[in-house]
Amino acid sequence: MTDVLLRLDRVNSFYGPVQVHFDLSLEVPCGQIVCLLGGNASGKSTTMKVILGLLKPRSGQVVFDGQPLTGLNTPQIVRRGIGSVPESRRLFGTMTVRENVLMGAYTRSDAKSVAEDYEGVLDLFPKLRERHAQQAGTLSGGEQQMVAMARALMGRPRLIVMDEPTMGLSPLHVDRVLEMIQTINRQGVSIFMVEQNASLALQIAHRGYVLQTGRIVLSGPAADLARDPQIRDAYLGGAQAA
Amino acid sequence: MADQLKNSLPKKPLLEIAGLTRRFGGLTAVNGLSLTVETGELVSIIGPNGAGKTTLFNLISGLDAPDAGAVTFEGGDVTGLSAERLAALGLARSFQHGRVFGNLSVLDNVLVGAHTRLRAVKPQIPLVGPLVELALALIRPPSVRAEEERLRAEATEIVRMFGERLTPRLDKPAHSLSYANRRRVEIARALALHPRLLLLDEPTAGMNPTETAEMLEIIRGLKAGGLTILLIEHKLDLVMQLSDRVVVMDHGARIAEGPPAAVAGDPAVIEAYLGHKAVGAANQDGPNQDGGRDAEGDAARILVAH
Amino acid sequence: MLPTTFGPWLDYTINGLVIGNIYALLAVGLALIFGVSHLINFAHGSVYMVGAYIGWLCVTKLALPLPVTFVTVAAGCGLLGAVIERVGLRPLRNAPRIAPLLATIGLSVVLDQSAQLLFSPDPRALPTQLPTWRIAIGGGSIGALDLLIAGVGIGSAGLLYGFLRFTKLGWAVRATALDRDAAQQCGVDVDKVNRTVFAIASALGGVSGLLVGMYYNTIDPNMGFQAGLKGIVAQLIGGVGNVPGAIAGSLLLGLIESYGIALFGTSYRNLFAFVALILILVLRPNGLFARARRLPPEPLTGTFIAPSRPLVLPKWAVWTLAALALALPLVVQQPYLLQTLGNAWLYALLALSLTLVAGTVGQVSLGHAGLLAIGAYASSLLALDAGVPVLLAVPLAGLVAAALGTALVYPAFRLRGHYVSIATLAVGEIVTLVILNWESLTRGPIGVTGIPPLSVAGKPLVSGQWVYWVPLIVLLAFAALQSRLLNSHLGRTLRAIREDDVAARSYGVDLNRYKGLAFAVAGFIAGVGGALMAHFYSYINHETFPAPVSMLALTMVILGGLGNVAGAVLGAAVLVGLPELFRAAAEYRMLIYGVVLLLLIRFRPQGLLGTV
Ligand SMILES: Nc1ncnc2c1ncn2[C@@H]1O[C@H](COP(=O)(O)OP(=O)(O)OP(=O)(O)O)[C@@H](O)[C@H]1O
Ligand SMILES: Nc1ncnc2c1ncn2[C@@H]1O[C@H](COP(=O)(O)OP(=O)(O)OP(=O)(O)O)[C@@H](O)[C@H]1O
Ligand SMILES: [Mg+2]
Ligand SMILES: [Mg+2]
Repeated sequence: MTDVLLRLDRVNSFYGPVQVHFDLSLEVPCGQIVCLLGGNASGKSTTMKVILGLLKPRSGQVVFDGQPLTGLNTPQIVRRGIGSVPESRRLFGTMTVRENVLMGAYTRSDAKSVAEDYEGVLDLFPKLRERHAQQAGTLSGGEQQMVAMARALMGRPRLIVMDEPTMGLSPLHVDRVLEMIQTINRQGVSIFMVEQNASLALQIAHRGYVLQTGRIVLSGPAADLARDPQIRDAYLGGAQAA
Repeated sequence: MADQLKNSLPKKPLLEIAGLTRRFGGLTAVNGLSLTVETGELVSIIGPNGAGKTTLFNLISGLDAPDAGAVTFEGGDVTGLSAERLAALGLARSFQHGRVFGNLSVLDNVLVGAHTRLRAVKPQIPLVGPLVELALALIRPPSVRAEEERLRAEATEIVRMFGERLTPRLDKPAHSLSYANRRRVEIARALALHPRLLLLDEPTAGMNPTETAEMLEIIRGLKAGGLTILLIEHKLDLVMQLSDRVVVMDHGARIAEGPPAAVAGDPAVIEAYLGHKAVGAANQDGPNQDGGRDAEGDAARILVAH
Repeated sequence: MLPTTFGPWLDYTINGLVIGNIYALLAVGLALIFGVSHLINFAHGSVYMVGAYIGWLCVTKLALPLPVTFVTVAAGCGLLGAVIERVGLRPLRNAPRIAPLLATIGLSVVLDQSAQLLFSPDPRALPTQLPTWRIAIGGGSIGALDLLIAGVGIGSAGLLYGFLRFTKLGWAVRATALDRDAAQQCGVDVDKVNRTVFAIASALGGVSGLLVGMYYNTIDPNMGFQAGLKGIVAQLIGGVGNVPGAIAGSLLLGLIESYGIALFGTSYRNLFAFVALILILVLRPNGLFARARRLPPEPLTGTFIAPSRPLVLPKWAVWTLAALALALPLVVQQPYLLQTLGNAWLYALLALSLTLVAGTVGQVSLGHAGLLAIGAYASSLLALDAGVPVLLAVPLAGLVAAALGTALVYPAFRLRGHYVSIATLAVGEIVTLVILNWESLTRGPIGVTGIPPLSVAGKPLVSGQWVYWVPLIVLLAFAALQSRLLNSHLGRTLRAIREDDVAARSYGVDLNRYKGLAFAVAGFIAGVGGALMAHFYSYINHETFPAPVSMLALTMVILGGLGNVAGAVLGAAVLVGLPELFRAAAEYRMLIYGVVLLLLIRFRPQGLLGTV
């Protein structure tokens, strides 16, 4: 096992003629929480797509656990141990909550431990237990977010990439989700997340990167970033951030 | 002070909701909710996930019909009226997850917002109305052309409110925008309707604090311009700074209502919605946290045990 | 005619259930494919035909025992399904949604034509090897084949339902259908899922072809189209993509048809099926077994099709092309060529009309030939029976088609997506069937003869040049008008309906009004086109504008680029002209057409000029 679990190496990605990433490089060390900050349209969600193989970079590569992911398709990448909580959740609308969550365990064949894990995530999100037979598309926004998290956990990934996991959650749930991310991380799962709630994200993260129009403009230990005046201005709401 | 003002000017509320109820199977998403919004007021609706806020918006805006209760808009009963009729009456909304017209340009998206204001659209006489509209679209007399020009200029102006985020993308199809920018397009589209009442469903989702502050200023500006706004939002700062009044919903019903500060201190609200940390209390007991912590730890441990 | 005793009714019921079971095998396959790829597979009928022929080979040439025949048919068709998925659909997975639909049409042409070439177009007998005993019950009777059909139908449907509900692969199928990207992120190998589904569905389709062949003791290479249509209708009655619903819908359809025949005779059989479909769709817009009223959820995914950049022809180029087209008869004088091109311009009118509703408003109509038929009959009957001058009858026919077409499609305005397509398909069929059966007005199967030609100041415009010029001038006029329409606020409003009807409603767009407007304009254009055809052909009957013409129109429109006015014209020119190019190889003409169609979609899925 290497020290660095995930590494992006001078990635250049495009939507048609439009370039989104310019020589993007970043690392997620084993066992850490790394968060990616950046304004709207800076290319954060696109970074997630590149990691998951949904968008192929024109040059540069993604390396997971020492092995380049070049040439692998998304399911193969997922099988290597990357789980995801996509932007705006992307649940299977007409499938039930239970089916959605269990879809997360699609790559696993150990029925017994899957069942145990299912109980485990329901304990994390008791609300889902009440709603297990409801169609996911009719859940409220926050409930959907919980399903997406639960689904990602079911794959027992080594790395989870999350695109704005607290979007649309009420304050109570924001705290719970962030705590949960920390708990999961303490058990050895690395986390790479995009989070707009930057002050909270930097509290739980080990490292942070700041993306601006497709380029990394700052990086370092989360605590340093949280104190950086530039960051406070641009991403933490300036003076308002306590 | 504000209350005195209101009392001295006897006017009808712009929007009045009485006993509104909507059930989905066994679940009552909105449960006998009553609410009024005065002209020029900004009322926020907050509440935990699944409280029924979006469902309430659907009921008000005519996309869904209530099982019981009544909605009155500008003194007239509009319960069960279709969405298109309500839009014509001056009600505009944004959607929680975004419903932009993906393959239309940003400008066209905003222009569709102005649909009800087009003169060609006005005649509602069956058969004749559409034919007149068709003729006007084909012949395009100077008045129609001038109107289109004016609306284009206005739409560009509205988009400019969002600064450099949208202006350079005016001709790009909306689907190529990032998530938050799509949300901005929605708000611009709603403004183009010249609404008498604007419903915003989590307008700042997906924005960081700085961007949220930007949006706050925009909404503040709209309010200063006299627009009546009903706002759903989870970001407390914003709610505290903008609202005249806050309504807290839980399980489809109102559990608290009042000026922002009073609501934020209400124990019921803290319990159901804010959590203790959010209001600065380090104290972590209470049914929501009680025991949950341990279960969480266990579950997470199970999950990652390889 | 009416049977008075109970016995015959029981027979009709049994017959209806047996037919229903056959439809069920088709409908279930279609539902499965629809479920996973949101695709109405028009090649399914062809697979069914192939199944029948494989069965025929096994039975008559190889003399295999029945169980082996079944296995061979299922395996052969399953393999064919996998191949269809691989060559026809997988390359199109990032293309606009409509492209795979067109590919299935192309595949179906290729399969049907290959079968004609291999086995000749004549029907063949497919003897059943089953024992011929029949059990008599209450005046009716059931044979071994009836029981076998019922058993296969119900058994496979049950298995399938279990597969989708309870197995992991079944869940993956449903998840893939709902959101491909998200399914991939759960580790689902989407390609494998698709292949499996196509294989299963095609195996079922093939088996039902075999059973039908045995039931009627006859098979022919064109048996697939109608059968595929019925499968689609049955699926719709039950609710798209809903497997148990598809089964119930099929049985219901079988019964309706059987009783319809009993009451009114065979020629009403299809009329019954399609009227039933329309009624059900109107009363229960999401199919008989869908749940109650519900707002369509906000798009969870934010997945947007990656559209092409439309190719915008500069103004001068359009003018030059139009001028060149107008000047052509001055240079080229072969009457045959001019006639073919004139015909292409007439079809271009149909394409123009369809591209407005299917491309701009997103209401993919599959019954558009019905509008042609209405226009053609209106104009010829006005001219012949009411003595209206032809020059006046043509625009009047346009108005009739606009009014009647809009009124007929009106019930479908509240439907969404594929339901619209099938409802319009049913409307198209109903128009044909009414023409066939309303003899006092339309002269029924005999058709209308001696339709006077278009004439100006007593001079008939029948020579080669006029056959070319008249359609072209009308076409250019309508194309100009339509472009102008699309550039106005109406164009924007119509596109908004296509993109998101819920959001459009929330901004005051009255869907009925604008869909009505679009169908009226489209009806007028197609009606005029149909009228011109009638006056040029001088003879029409109910088969002049059959369902495949609607498919052809859709092909033109997609090929040119949905919603693209110039594209519609180009599409018509290519697709009417192309088969003529291969006239020398007459037998292979349609086959080549199918292959070329497939290649065009493969390499330019967004249409030649791109979607607007
Ligand atoms: N499918 C697409 N086609 C073309 N351009 C796209 C597409 N998706 C995104 N883009 C563009 O790529 C850039 C980066 O988008 P991305 O979604 O990665 O931003 P983001 O940082 O996640 O923003 P947000 O905070 O709003 O979610 C944006 O300028 C966007 O307009
Ligand atoms: N069509 C439906 N069928 C069944 N249940 C539904 C439907 N629509 C909404 N619900 C349920 O009604 C409740 C209220 O949903 P709603 O979307 O109004 O919540 P919300 O207050 O907007 O929550 P959030 O803040 O998470 O967006 C939820 O529990 C949801 O699951
Ligand atoms: Mg994003
Ligand atoms: Mg909501």
